[in-house]
Amino acid sequence: MQAMTRRLELTNITKRYPGVIANDAITLGVSAGEIHAILGENGAGKSTLMKIIYGAVAADDGEIRFEGKPLGVHSPGHSRHLGIEMVYQHFSLFETVSVAQNIALCQDGRLELTALGDRIRQTAERYGLVVDPDKIVFDLSVGERQQVEILRCLLQKPKLLILDEPTSVLAPQAIDQLFEVLRALAKDGCSILYISHKLDEVRALCDSATVLRNGKVTGDVDPRQATSHELAVMMVGSDLPMTKMPKTTVSAEPVLRVKNLSAEPFGEKGRKLSDITLDVHAGEVVGIAGVSGNGQSELAVCLSGEALDPNSLIQLDGADIGHLPPDRRRKMGLAYVPEERLGRGAVPTHSLMQNAILTGYVRGLAHMGLVKKARARAFANATIDRYSVKTNGAGAQANSLSGGNLQKYILGRELSLEPRLLIAAQPTWGVDVGAASFVRQKIVDLSRNGAAVLIISEELDELLEICDRIHVLSNGRLSAAIPRGEATREKLGLNIGGATLHLPGSGEEPSDAAAH
Amino acid sequence: MKQSRRTFMQGSAAAVAALGFPNIVRAADVIKIGQVNASPAAEIGWSKQHALGIDAIKAKYGDRVEVTVVDSIFVPQDAERVFRELAAKGHKLIFGTSFSLGTPMQKVAPRFPDVAFEHCSGIVHLKNLGTFEAKYYEGMYVAGVAAGHMSKTGRLGFVGGFPIPDIVGPANAFLLGAQSVRSDATCDVVFLNSWFDPAKEKEAALALLAQGADVLVGMTDTGVCVQTAQEKGVLSVGYASDLRTFGPDSQLTSVVLDWSSDYLDAASGVVDGDWTSTVRWSGFKKGVVKMAPYNDVIPADVRDKLTKLEADIASGATHPYAGEIKDADGNIRVAAGSVLPDADIRSFNWLVAGMNGSLG
Amino acid sequence: MQLRIEPRVTTSIVIQGLAPIIAVTMTLVLGGILFAAMGYPPLETLWAFFIEPISTIYGASELLVKAVPLVIIATGLAIGFRANIWNIGAEGQLTIGAIAATGIGLYFPDQQAVYLLALMFLAGCLGGLFWAGIAAYLRARFHTSEILVTLMLTYIAALILSWLVRGPWRDPAGFNFPQTALLPPAGLIDPIDFAYRVTGSVYFAIFALIAMWFFVARSFQGYKLAVGGAAPRAARYAGFSEKSAIWIGLLTGGAAAGIAGFFEVAGPLGQLSPIISPGYGFAAIIVAFIGRLHPVGILLGGLFLALIYLGGESVQLGYGIPAPITRVFQGLLLFFLLASEFAVSHRIVRVKEAH
Repeated sequence: MQAMTRRLELTNITKRYPGVIANDAITLGVSAGEIHAILGENGAGKSTLMKIIYGAVAADDGEIRFEGKPLGVHSPGHSRHLGIEMVYQHFSLFETVSVAQNIALCQDGRLELTALGDRIRQTAERYGLVVDPDKIVFDLSVGERQQVEILRCLLQKPKLLILDEPTSVLAPQAIDQLFEVLRALAKDGCSILYISHKLDEVRALCDSATVLRNGKVTGDVDPRQATSHELAVMMVGSDLPMTKMPKTTVSAEPVLRVKNLSAEPFGEKGRKLSDITLDVHAGEVVGIAGVSGNGQSELAVCLSGEALDPNSLIQLDGADIGHLPPDRRRKMGLAYVPEERLGRGAVPTHSLMQNAILTGYVRGLAHMGLVKKARARAFANATIDRYSVKTNGAGAQANSLSGGNLQKYILGRELSLEPRLLIAAQPTWGVDVGAASFVRQKIVDLSRNGAAVLIISEELDELLEICDRIHVLSNGRLSAAIPRGEATREKLGLNIGGATLHLPGSGEEPSDAAAH
Repeated sequence: MKQSRRTFMQGSAAAVAALGFPNIVRAADVIKIGQVNASPAAEIGWSKQHALGIDAIKAKYGDRVEVTVVDSIFVPQDAERVFRELAAKGHKLIFGTSFSLGTPMQKVAPRFPDVAFEHCSGIVHLKNLGTFEAKYYEGMYVAGVAAGHMSKTGRLGFVGGFPIPDIVGPANAFLLGAQSVRSDATCDVVFLNSWFDPAKEKEAALALLAQGADVLVGMTDTGVCVQTAQEKGVLSVGYASDLRTFGPDSQLTSVVLDWSSDYLDAASGVVDGDWTSTVRWSGFKKGVVKMAPYNDVIPADVRDKLTKLEADIASGATHPYAGEIKDADGNIRVAAGSVLPDADIRSFNWLVAGMNGSLG
Repeated sequence: MQLRIEPRVTTSIVIQGLAPIIAVTMTLVLGGILFAAMGYPPLETLWAFFIEPISTIYGASELLVKAVPLVIIATGLAIGFRANIWNIGAEGQLTIGAIAATGIGLYFPDQQAVYLLALMFLAGCLGGLFWAGIAAYLRARFHTSEILVTLMLTYIAALILSWLVRGPWRDPAGFNFPQTALLPPAGLIDPIDFAYRVTGSVYFAIFALIAMWFFVARSFQGYKLAVGGAAPRAARYAGFSEKSAIWIGLLTGGAAAGIAGFFEVAGPLGQLSPIISPGYGFAAIIVAFIGRLHPVGILLGGLFLALIYLGGESVQLGYGIPAPITRVFQGLLLFFLLASEFAVSHRIVRVKEAH
């Protein structure tokens, strides 16, 4: 791995912004064919560093060498000329034209579309990308669009590919596919810089990792050797508090009772729910494990009331709610954190104050047909403070927040409603390691104060940490609950049965995945 | 189109002077005349014939008059303002060329007693609001006689803008003319409920042809009927303007409107200071209605007869609505030996026997 | 090189203030060139277009006559537009409102009743509600596109009007001409001052603007509609009924248009004729959008659109500039205004470099 000259070498890169040092004397190296992770929490300086490498931002100090030659002040155009390409988190494709036309737009010189189409097909085949050059981008899924972006970079024959949080928008299956592509690319000698805060992914994919915290390098490790805990400690800087799970007494009668719930699948990727029976008592946290797409979203919307099924038995504190719309259920004490934050859990173009009213209306943020702005602002500010949401304040638009911060806000909002029943899907998805453990503690505390909590999550570690009982939802069917103490990765993995519980990069064997 | 002069200067002379705009001084004895049209300016049709009326005034008075034309005033709300503005800006004679402008003119006229208002096809007269109107039926009767001579099937087709007396009457006269030379003649009639809707008119024309009509006439603001007849190789009669260019072979003749005498009478009244509100309603006699040159496809002897008929109608020897006339239900509406009274002509709302259609 | 249009996150106040000024300047320059090319004196023509129409009290009052229906309708429509409910058929709702009001005015047994106007107002409002309600019902019940339904209903309304004024409601003393009799005096709104045509409708427009502001900024229902418009799935998540949003969004526009129809027929018109509106229902859509669906913006937008109408007449009157040329100029003006608006809220970025 230690070649004579490394592909990319950074020495003492420093970037200061008023009041903050974004990058403080960062030194790292990447060899040809190496997949190198830049690991760190939000705000650790990852993105700034990548922009410096790509040339979108100039460093105040330090040196960048690419293939041994120092890069002075350079522009992104210059970078691309050298073979440095970057795939952003948000895509920049024209939806109304075809894949080939999109790619043609960033090619130099005159191009024959049919010839380009052939090149696209060849390159796609070589790396196992599923890209049809004639398809209109509008018809592509998010994962397919990302493949187009990557392919666009690949056509430039890059020597260094930078990916900024590429999996934040992908479904688990698509993540596996992405990793295969990246491995094939590395095998061909392309270096990859992989920015992430997801420990599992980094451990599954990367050969080496540089951990950043507050703009400084806190570790250079081989992620395959380090444990998740060790990596997390490097990222957060202190030993992480384990969630405290005080003993609890659960209510005799369940708060949520679901009997023989069946539901038709939503859309192409949905799964039919059959015969779900589930109880959640006050004082306990019940988890639902399993890979998304096995009925998770169907279950969540049936419980929240976004889909109505008057035929199934759903009871909240003994009252039938199966026929009630979401607002009526909310008024009875149900709170819900959906998987999608922007556009569902929050209105993107509305301020945090306005987004407080979205569900806070059940707690007096709307009264006598009027919106109570002062109360909503106070509520929003309190939530921002209590859950350390990084934002300019209650007036900031929801879409100005990072995914993790918005998740904290939505979770905080729902928790602040003091619900009788909290349903949370992927509660810590995209949230920093440190903040995630704080949020988990809050969820447990809520249950210990007498509420019923149902967590739907793909992350087994999370469920094992905070749940009193865990079901597995697979193929639209719910397994029997395994109590805390008896629940292990292996057992849950077995329950998942034939359905593969993919953890990123874990290959085909679920038991392998369960082992780490 | 550039008829007007810097009339707006009056209202804001001080501001204009301050901004250094050239201040144009008008000769004191120039008389300002306004015209308001409901439809856009056009090369043929109703508006064009009224534009010719204005031209006649300009030709006669030259620099002694100054003319302002405002087109495309579709709704009464706007019309009222435009008439007011024209009057307020010193126009002494204002023409309104569409029935729909009537109510606004009636509202504005009393506020400007010194201004003469002339309303074409109006029905209400005030001290300073006169009306003028053409006897379309005279021309349509003569056209009907020509059609009666030339039609092979004996079926005529009539497309009208609206089922108002000014159209219903001439439609009847068209058939009565045809029946005067062949008693079996019938006429299918369709109303578009629009003066200008070429697509709909084309559809209507084709439908009439499909029903067997071989002479078409359209009392609308287009040349569509004449053009369609030309395309389909049948005959037609034009209206308002001579539409020969739309159908050199098909157009037998056209009922041409020439408002010059009305415009000149009104203008001379205002120039001489003896204008009074009158009701002008004329046809062949004063030349307000004229027949376009007869097509050579009409035999020469028939052409001579038609020319003589024009003279007879002008002199009163022949009346298009002379009895006996029955309506579509067979009731006698005009007894033999009498003619339809003028008041009934101006409120025509029934169809004569042989007309197929409804007044919607 | 790839270019992309994206919304601006922050917009400086300077640019926001400057944009309309630039837009107007561009229009003035281009319009001046246009007029000059047609052989008209550019400066004087522009003066006649923008200043002359409102240089007198009468002119200003006419501006209100024209702006009031636009503002009333636009406030109603904006409520729906904010919720992504696209009522394109305000013209039809205005027509039905005017018909209903006239029906009461002409055929109510007590033609001298002091409350005749109030009944007509109510009838106009209900007429508009009913016409928009058809579209709301179809959308809520069958998911029919309200854009198409409201637009099509506009043509139906026009045909009903046409039938009434030529048929059953035709003025018996009107020589068969297509118009109804004049409304009785008790069914006409007197102008505020008989020298002008402005009626109490101007007070109603002010009321409508304030009511809209209150609804949008303060009411929970207004909030729900805004959520539904900005993020439909968030509205579903929160439990805000889509059906009630459809009903409210369409009915407010319908009521407003119906009331505007009443004010037209009881004010400047005094009777029904085949054409009773110069496209107020459609122009109000433009007003709502150049006003950014905000009450203050709608007020300014309504006055502005009214001014360019009057300006078009004014240059015809003053210079004999043909009507089509004034339309071109009006189109240019709207184009630059909307383009500058777009430029303020969006920017063009080079995708790869700037992120």
